[in-house]
Amino acid sequence: KHGRVKVKTTAQQEEEKRKEREKKLKLYVAARDACFSKRKEGVLDEEALQLTQQMLSSNPDFATLWNYRRELLMHQETVKDKDELQKLYEAELSFLETCLKANPKSYGCWHHRGWVSVRLPQPDWARELKLCDLCLTMDERNFHCWDYRRMVVKMSGVSVEQELDFTYRLIGSNFSNYSSWHYRSTLLPLLHPESPEQNCEYELVQNAFFTDPNDQSAWFYYRWLLGRADREEMISCVYVDRDDERVAVAFSRPVNVSVLLIHNRDNQICVLPPGTISDTSNEHNLTVHWTEKHTHRDCALYTGRTESYCRESATDQELFRSELSVEKTSVLQSELHSCNQLLEMEPLNKWCLLTIILLMRALDPLGYEKETLGHFQTLKEVDSMRSAYYSDLCSKFMIENTILKMEYAEVRVFSISEKSLTTLCHLDQLLLVTHINLSSNKLQRLPPQFAMLQCLEVLEADNNSIENLEGLHNLPKLEEVLLKNNSILKSLQPLASCPRLKRLDLRGNPITQITNIGSELAELLSSVTDLLL
Amino acid sequence: MAEKESQLDEFEQIYFLRDRHVRFFQRTLQVLPERYASLETTRLTIIFFALSGLDVLDALDVIDRNTMIDWIYSLQVIPTEDESNLSRCGFRGSSHIGIPYSKKGPDVFHPYDSGHVAMTYTGLCSLLILGDDLSRVNKKTCLAGLRALQLEDGSFYAVPEGSENDIRFIYCAASICYILDDWSGMDIQKAIDYIRGSLSYDNGFGQGAGRESHGGWTYCAIASLCLMDRLDEALSQRELNRIRRWCIMRQQSGFHGRPNKPVDTCYSFWVGATLELLDVFQYTNFDKNRSFILSTQDQLVGGFAKWPDSHPDPLHAYLGLCGLSLIGEADLRKVHPALNITQRAFEHLQQLQQTWRDSSNGGCNGQH
Repeated sequence: KHGRVKVKTTAQQEEEKRKEREKKLKLYVAARDACFSKRKEGVLDEEALQLTQQMLSSNPDFATLWNYRRELLMHQETVKDKDELQKLYEAELSFLETCLKANPKSYGCWHHRGWVSVRLPQPDWARELKLCDLCLTMDERNFHCWDYRRMVVKMSGVSVEQELDFTYRLIGSNFSNYSSWHYRSTLLPLLHPESPEQNCEYELVQNAFFTDPNDQSAWFYYRWLLGRADREEMISCVYVDRDDERVAVAFSRPVNVSVLLIHNRDNQICVLPPGTISDTSNEHNLTVHWTEKHTHRDCALYTGRTESYCRESATDQELFRSELSVEKTSVLQSELHSCNQLLEMEPLNKWCLLTIILLMRALDPLGYEKETLGHFQTLKEVDSMRSAYYSDLCSKFMIENTILKMEYAEVRVFSISEKSLTTLCHLDQLLLVTHINLSSNKLQRLPPQFAMLQCLEVLEADNNSIENLEGLHNLPKLEEVLLKNNSILKSLQPLASCPRLKRLDLRGNPITQITNIGSELAELLSSVTDLLL
Repeated sequence: MAEKESQLDEFEQIYFLRDRHVRFFQRTLQVLPERYASLETTRLTIIFFALSGLDVLDALDVIDRNTMIDWIYSLQVIPTEDESNLSRCGFRGSSHIGIPYSKKGPDVFHPYDSGHVAMTYTGLCSLLILGDDLSRVNKKTCLAGLRALQLEDGSFYAVPEGSENDIRFIYCAASICYILDDWSGMDIQKAIDYIRGSLSYDNGFGQGAGRESHGGWTYCAIASLCLMDRLDEALSQRELNRIRRWCIMRQQSGFHGRPNKPVDTCYSFWVGATLELLDVFQYTNFDKNRSFILSTQDQLVGGFAKWPDSHPDPLHAYLGLCGLSLIGEADLRKVHPALNITQRAFEHLQQLQQTWRDSSNGGCNGQH
């Protein structure tokens, strides 16, 4: 395949080769030992410089030798005058150029060059930039060179504008210059710390992806340009129940904290003593403090009410939109328009489809739901290698939409069936849900976060591929669990911690084939009166 | 119809040539061609590739373990009697400095002898793979040597006299601490700060702050955080999802390390293992990945190359195998995605760590 033919060597040729190798080894060892004995004797002279130069030409990643050479050079600094030193370091730079020509990706060489160029009595930063230009024309992705250039720019005070011009030129001559886009992403915020995106920057990127829609560099940069805000950490929901005398708290991310619960603004307590809130004729004001994040949430339990809650509205918070900065709606709309134009010309371009989906979700997730699903379908066909990933992403978006619809309808029922869901997420938003319908999807498990559904009374999850029920534990109000036609074979243990469970439908699951399973389950789940196998 | 069938046959002709790979690694352990001379100072890493490769192939029986173990221990920098060289301890890459082979300490302090963080990491891994119990490893001095390498910004040098510093060596340090079950070897929080600072606008990790995202550095970042058990603490779910997206987009057939670069066999491991650690490897396309890796297999001499029609080398041979192992290739041992050794070697380590803990009566030394 390589067209190489193995040459058979005679014994004599082998012997010659062996002798040559030995000779080389002797030379190497002699040079090496000479270096180190010189060092030991404190001899830091020109001959040592010669020796190390010799060795480093063939072994450019011998870190110890570079360090020794730096010691030699520093010693020369104490005995030479400025002109001589300038000559010495210029020679060093030439030496390094030859090394770099042979090994443009040698860590040792670049590192040493960085060290040398700051020590020149008269540094020639223009020359260093030229060297970078040269290296980049040979390999514009050589990150050693880019890193070196950044150092040179910093040392020599090249302005941010000049560097932006440089990246502009490179991008202009070849849009597909990912390293240039990357560099630009670090420069732009220096010039515009508040709002990185400007119209001309959008234009630049659009030109790039219109010219070559298959090049991912511009798309990644574009996505970054459209902005992002990190979601605040917060207490998503507080729920109080008089009958069970419980307070449930949902956080926006998994936490390991002890919470401070303050009752009626008086005592600081974490545990409500029995009988505190059970009398419906009393009103109670509760506050949950998350001290680490300096945030809190109040919840008032009114007279005559058996329960109360207070939560962040997903709609108000524009929870699912904060992938992109929301204030710039007009910008997003115009960008969506441009991308749709491109899509007309390139209907199978995956980057375009992905970006459009992103923009639609930022602008109006419910309004664009139908189009989004259509685009996902196309995306899965066009980029079939990642179709499983896209299914997962689509599931996430469908769940987000269902949460929004639930809020608008002001109900506590979460229903999402026949949507090919492969995964569950945002369960922290479902603390108040009483009924959940997940039937006819492609779920394989009910993950641990499912236990956040503290108000859940009915779970319908027929016709999935669920094997794992690890999240179905400690759900105090859970009464009905419908799991017909799934893949459950064992692990029903979590359900034993749900004290109100009355009805359990396991028909069409492999577990029903186990002998005596009926009596086993009856023993495990004593509260269940209606067990369907 | 017949034409289509023969096309299919041709496609399936890409066999995995196990025996050739075993011989490839055997040769690696015996003699290396001249062009490897420039890698002499890092020879131990090449040994590691060969040993771990043989482990993945379940072919360690072809090696003389004890000789190999002794050789590796000869690379350990031993403390002088007055312990004045502690900051220089660890493992060397090879015998290139010229210290005579000895199991005892050096007679004289050699000014240029020191460990190298990547050699310490691969040395420890190699010992584990060979079934050694690490009893001859001077843990105290290895960790002292490691501490001496960490900088204020959280990154590490490779050697105490200085070198470039970046995220690669954080990974080596984290692995060393993990293996030795002792995190006093590094300041974890500073390392995490450096790692976070290396996250780029496009959600991959660079070698350091402001630097371009790259599959190798992303592996170092994520694997380090997993070894430290700080993944969910250091990165938000949003960030993790974005990182997953950047990584999953690296698959073209096999994987590449950066956008618009050609695919390269080694990234089937670097990016594949990262995706595995992030729980989304199952969303990649196994068939295309496998086809690419096998297209770089050298049918004559064994091993894998970075690209098809190129010369194989130990690094790509090893990482190609690991890439295949991740997708569940038959007859290959499973690889621990964060430590980059087989599960078998990892289990050996776990047993060792259990005996260490038992004998120290349940005391924790410096664990985070």
